[in-house]
Amino acid sequence: MTVTIDDDLWSAIGDPTRRQMLDLLLAKSAGTATSLSEELPVTRQAVAKHLTVLDRVGLVHATQAGREKRYEIDEAQFARAVAQLNAVGNTWDARLRRIKQIAEAIEKTKAPDTTN
Amino acid sequence: MEYASIDRELHIDASPEVVFETISRPEHIREWWYADTDVRPEPGSAGELVWADGDDPRAHVVSMTVVAAEPPRLFSFRWTHPAGESAREGNSNLVTFELVPSGTGTLLRFSETGFRERGWEAAVLEERYLDHGLGWDKFVPRIKAYAEELVSAP
Repeated sequence: MTVTIDDDLWSAIGDPTRRQMLDLLLAKSAGTATSLSEELPVTRQAVAKHLTVLDRVGLVHATQAGREKRYEIDEAQFARAVAQLNAVGNTWDARLRRIKQIAEAIEKTKAPDTTN
Repeated sequence: MEYASIDRELHIDASPEVVFETISRPEHIREWWYADTDVRPEPGSAGELVWADGDDPRAHVVSMTVVAAEPPRLFSFRWTHPAGESAREGNSNLVTFELVPSGTGTLLRFSETGFRERGWEAAVLEERYLDHGLGWDKFVPRIKAYAEELVSAP
């Protein structure tokens, strides 16, 4: 299985407020920006922004509930996120591959001067 | 699951001098990490890695501080420490590149350490996933205690 990790996911989970929000969503199985903001020391607007970030990386998904969106943890993506984070070495594998490509390309441009 | 260290080795068909420049110079860091940085390859040089996202040029900003820059054999830096804090063990990860001449090329030894020492999100998240009943708030102090044990071990 190939696991690709993206910096967005690290960034999404790296924020303490968003981790608290994931905590609350796991505990309550669902929540809205309003209900989450009632339990966090941040504004509803800030919570809504964080939910957008979590939604973008697929950790939550939204359903329309009246005038508000109701968010739930996406269990499958959450499991994938865990797998990806466990495989954090893979991000470095990708970076190291790019380092290799770049260094070898630079070396090639220098080759005419160094082959003798 | 071991979070303490990531270790990799790879051969690169380029001289250690070229590899050193590739891993340490801002114009090349932009190519392989997709990040802009003001950090220079000099010990103590501190700055940021900056990723843009759409119309936000500073969508993701991470601190970076060079620990060692000894061309062409060693480049190491700490990163992901909180903005405004000096990089040290416990608040950042340490990335080390060792460059060893190998034939006409370079053996690049890479390591990143510091995950466990910090109670890094990967460990926290896995625990959280395995046991939904346990909150971050309960788990993080436990990791911290464990990290301190590690640090104080001889």
